[in-house]
Amino acid sequence: MKRTMLHLIMVSSFLAAGCVPETENIDIVHDEGKPVMGLDYRDFDRAASELIQSMLGSGALKKQGGGRYVVATGRIVNDTMQRIDTDQLMAKIETGLLNSGQAVMTSAVGAGADKLVHESRELRDAEEFDPNTVPERRTLIAPELSISGKIFQKNVRYGRNRQQVEYYFQLKLSDVKSGLRYWQDEVIVGKRGSNRSVAW
Amino acid sequence: MKTITNILLFIMAVVITGCFEQHDSRIHLREEVRSDSLVDNIVIRPVVHAFSALIGEGIEITQALTRRNDAGFLELHVNGYNRSYQTKRFRYRVEWLDEDGLLIESKTSVWLPASAMGKSPFSLKVVAPTPKAVNFRMDTRKWE
Repeated sequence: MKRTMLHLIMVSSFLAAGCVPETENIDIVHDEGKPVMGLDYRDFDRAASELIQSMLGSGALKKQGGGRYVVATGRIVNDTMQRIDTDQLMAKIETGLLNSGQAVMTSAVGAGADKLVHESRELRDAEEFDPNTVPERRTLIAPELSISGKIFQKNVRYGRNRQQVEYYFQLKLSDVKSGLRYWQDEVIVGKRGSNRSVAW
Repeated sequence: MKTITNILLFIMAVVITGCFEQHDSRIHLREEVRSDSLVDNIVIRPVVHAFSALIGEGIEITQALTRRNDAGFLELHVNGYNRSYQTKRFRYRVEWLDEDGLLIESKTSVWLPASAMGKSPFSLKVVAPTPKAVNFRMDTRKWE
């Protein structure tokens, strides 16, 4: 009897182990997976692609007299119910701008600031460092343009058992000196699904 | 009498068909918006739709134009027509090639959604990620 019980336990544990879905790597380039109610990397890819194309196509980054604009990343507000690192969007946008050859991003100020840029300037009086290798005063380049934006979410009831979730990706490009806005655009990602699906 | 009736019917058919055709070709009046005609009415429409679905009508690309915009980026303008009576949703992805025919890696080369309403023209515009792009290749896939 005891042996039979042991066999049963063994067989059922094998079966249970077989039922666990296998882990698989996602094909990031040609992902044919089902959409989800929340924002996934495909939504960010799409929003970034459409926004970069819109910005480049507008001609807002074409500098009079040639050269490249110095662009700083401003504040990107996450007004969704999800915990989003806005860098998920901005890293793609910044890469797109850098690769376009029409802009350079600054790490001196803004949301994309690198602390080390300023820390390295505090080493001017440090005896351990060769003064010739420490950045001089007035060497930082101020940004000419700033990108800022917002991601927000709106949930709408769509029938008794369904809901509609709308995500808005808004970006704007402004001239830092004059405050004039050169470009802005919005990408909407809409999803409909069960009320039971959680969009946060 | 019979001949007169036939002539009257023929004239009516010509008039109705003629009225149906007379509008600006830039303005597309859809079924159930425009007036019914001999070839498009509540009786014939389901048969035509079923036949279209049976022979598998879908998207057709009529033109792919490229031009360099003022900022120096290559723009691709794709014009097409949805031959089906259903709205066709699909995804497209454009990859850009440099003057050596090599692929330019880009954050913008992702699958993007598009849709075209039944029996309607549609257009897509894609901007190259860098002025180095001189050519393109485009792929499509079904909307999952």
